[in-house]
This record gives sequence, structure tokens and C-alpha cells, in this order.
Amino acid sequence: MPAKRALIMHPKDNVATTVEEIQPGDPVEVSRGGEVRNLTAVEAIPFGFKIALEEIPQGATITKYGETIGKAGRSIARGALVHVHNLEGTRARGDLEGREKR
Amino acid sequence: MSFLGYKRSDGSVGTRNYVLVIPQGIIAKSICDFVAGTRTIQTVDHGSGRTAGDRERIARVLIGLGRNPNVASVIVHAASPGVGYPELTAERLADEIAASGKRVEVIDPAKDGGVYETITRGMKLARMMVYEASKLRRVEAWDEHLCLGVKCGYSDTTSGIAGNPAVGYLFDKIVKAGGTAFFGETTEIIGAEHALAKRAATPDVAKAILDAVAHREALAKSTGLDIRTINPVPANIKGGISSLEEKSLGAIYKAGTAPIQGVLQYAERPKGKGLYFVDNWMGAFSIFAGYAAAGSNLVLFQLGGGGLTGRTLLEGAPSIVAPFLWCTANPKTYAMARDNIDFYSGTVIEGKEDPEQAGERLYRTVIDIASGTLSRSETLVYTDPVDLYLEEPRF
Repeated sequence: MPAKRALIMHPKDNVATTVEEIQPGDPVEVSRGGEVRNLTAVEAIPFGFKIALEEIPQGATITKYGETIGKAGRSIARGALVHVHNLEGTRARGDLEGREKR
Repeated sequence: MSFLGYKRSDGSVGTRNYVLVIPQGIIAKSICDFVAGTRTIQTVDHGSGRTAGDRERIARVLIGLGRNPNVASVIVHAASPGVGYPELTAERLADEIAASGKRVEVIDPAKDGGVYETITRGMKLARMMVYEASKLRRVEAWDEHLCLGVKCGYSDTTSGIAGNPAVGYLFDKIVKAGGTAFFGETTEIIGAEHALAKRAATPDVAKAILDAVAHREALAKSTGLDIRTINPVPANIKGGISSLEEKSLGAIYKAGTAPIQGVLQYAERPKGKGLYFVDNWMGAFSIFAGYAAAGSNLVLFQLGGGGLTGRTLLEGAPSIVAPFLWCTANPKTYAMARDNIDFYSGTVIEGKEDPEQAGERLYRTVIDIASGTLSRSETLVYTDPVDLYLEEPRF
């Protein structure tokens, strides 16, 4: 089976963006420039969503474009889908601040 | 490089050649429905019950649209509900537009014998003004006369990977040629502001960028909500964007790599040329009118669209006098809305082009449309009403 494709935006990233529909068990070829890495998807990942390039422990920084896009809300396996269910935003979190005192 | 445009007496160059009728309302709309080649603004924000600050914002929009290089001449009517405020008198609007050297006519029901008579007089004037404008010919103009504005919307992960980088290439090219380019959407640089501040032309500009974000983030926190329940919007999340930071980091690619010369308010005209950040809100019905008022003679909507389903007709361009381009890098969006898309950069995702090659194609598309080829949205009569970005309470 030919590998499905995903793109890395920056060498520091621990996620890549899929550019094909990926099924559980699919081999995934992750490329940036000439560099290619291979991994296996452990679950379905739709077009344009993110796949974890390594195991990401709960609370660890998730990096894309070489910058922080959030923290792992729970531990994420290599080859797993990274999205709102396991990635916590760190900015403009009014819910964590509580409402302003009146 | 150059395009074919309309030279104005203030030295600016238009990509279109309209007669503008302002402010909003039945008089302006009736004239524009009757006379070809005219434009007006449709909005419910007329100034009544608004603070001086917001009335000045409305005045900035109206005066700015009148001064836009795509406008040949202007009719101002004196029958808007806000007209009694000093910021919004017909005389003030007319004088400030006329300072650019354009012909401006004022029509007034109190002097012209009533509303019907004013509409009739406006129609007669508008027909003659459109006729006169049509005598002007396009001439070659350098790219320094282009003033672009961009927003990215319905963003998905194709926006950050391909669509926005192609726009960024275009912005770099226009800025390098001595032109002007606007980007904004303050909420949508939260998480990426440090990268933009590093590109500021002066320490004051860097501080202004960080201050704008700090203000907006504090407002967001005061809601007591996770920003993810507001923005990224559901279509972004459905398109693969997982946090505001991720959206922002992808969004700033559309600004290219040039130094940022300043931070502008909504509808504020820049003092010089180059790349500017505008402290505005992302709403398409709001942002493009602001860019046009600040002097944009062409605007772009970089569309993701991965979270849209079954929508084949996109909104009518709310940019009033500036031609409006739809761009996308999402193959599904392109397939779904092909009639409406002016530029496609999904080739980058398909591995057929790099972002620079796509950006070069986008540049040529922009030059064509600046020179008179219609954008897809310009082939529609329908345009959406405008929701001006006003910031203060109403009373």
C-alpha cells in the first residue's frame, strides 16, 4: 500500500498536517523539504488534521510552525490524531481565569 | 511591474472608476439602483446614538471611501439620521473628500424641495458624473500604486500551509515594489504576536502590536469563556484547526515577511507605504469596508472552507468600491465553489507547486483584475450589507 502524505511546517514540530484521508493502520510518509519520516497511523485522521510524530505526554507542549499551538490535555500516542479532544489551548482562556469580579 | 489604472488628481491610481453616493439610505440606494456605474454603502450604522469616537469611525469610513482611488466623483446627501452630529454633516464629508481633488456634489432634501426631488436631482447628477468618469482611460501604473487588504476566513489547515503563504508572497512583492498592504484581525494574531512584534519597523510599532493583542486577550478573558468556544469558529475546528494559537500562527503567513510600518485603527489611512497591521475585527462584512476606506484598491479573501459543506454560492463582496478576490488552497472548496474562486493554490498541497510559484500566479491574477478583468464576485449584482467596526457603547 502506498504511504499517505503529511507535511511538517518546521523542524521543531511534533505534529504534521495530513494532506490525504488516513485510515487506521495506514503507513504515513511525513515530509519537509527533502527530509522524509515514516510512521503508522493508529486511528483515522481526516484531510487537513494533525498526526502526532512522537509520543506526547500529558501537559507537554504541542508545536507546529515551530511555535506553541497548545498543550497535550492527555497523553497522545505516536501516529494518533491531535485535535480539540487532546489539545488544550493556552491563550485567552477566560474559563481558567474565572469571570471578572463585579 | 505595472498594471493599467485610472490616475487621480491626488496621485493615487484606481483599479475601478465608480461614482460613489453616500451616506447609506433610501436616497443613495435609489440613485444607485437607477444609474449604472455607481456604488453606495449599505449599513444600519448611521451614527445616531453613538459616541463621538464611533461617529468619527463612521465619518472615517465615508470620507475614506470617497477618497478611495477607485472613486472618480462623489455625491453626498444630507438626509442621514446621523447628519446632525458635527462629525457627520454633509458639508464636512464633502469638504474632506473634495480635498483629494475629486468632484463632490451635495444634495439636500431641505434645499432641493423634498426627498423625491433630491433623488431626482441625484439621479441626474449621477448620470452626468458617470458619463464624465467614463471618458477617463486606463494608463500604465507601477505596482507602488496598489494598496491591498487581506482577510483569511473559514480557515482550515490548508490556509496556513498553502493559501496564506501564497498571499504572503504577493504581499512581499507589492511592498518591495513600493506599494501598500494591510492585514489585521487582532484576535487572530493571539499566539503569534511575538513573531509579528519582531518584524516591527520601530520599537513603538512593536509595542503597539503587543498592546493591541493584550487588550483583546484581556477582553476575551473577561467573558469567562474558553476562546475556543468563540474563535476558532466551528468551521475552523471542523477544518482541522485545534486552537486559537494554531489559527493565528497560520494566519500570519498572509502578511509575508516585510517589516511592519505601523498599527492602524479601523478605516485609518496610513501615513506612508509598506505593510501595516490593522487593529480590526475578523468579520468579512466589517473588515473589507475598513480596508477600502483606508485606501485599498483591491482586496483578497483567502478562504479555507474545509468546514463548509454544501455551500456553493459565497457571500457578496462587502468591499463597496474595491474589487474583491476569493482565493483558496483547499481542493474540496475549489471543487465546491469553482464559479466563485478567482485563485486556487491547492497545487501546493498537491505537490505541484511551491508557495512562491503559487504566489507568482496570484500576483499575475491580481494584476489582471487590477487592470480591469472582473473578479468573480464582481459578476454578481448582490453585495452584502456592511457591519461597521464600532467599539463603544450605544446610548
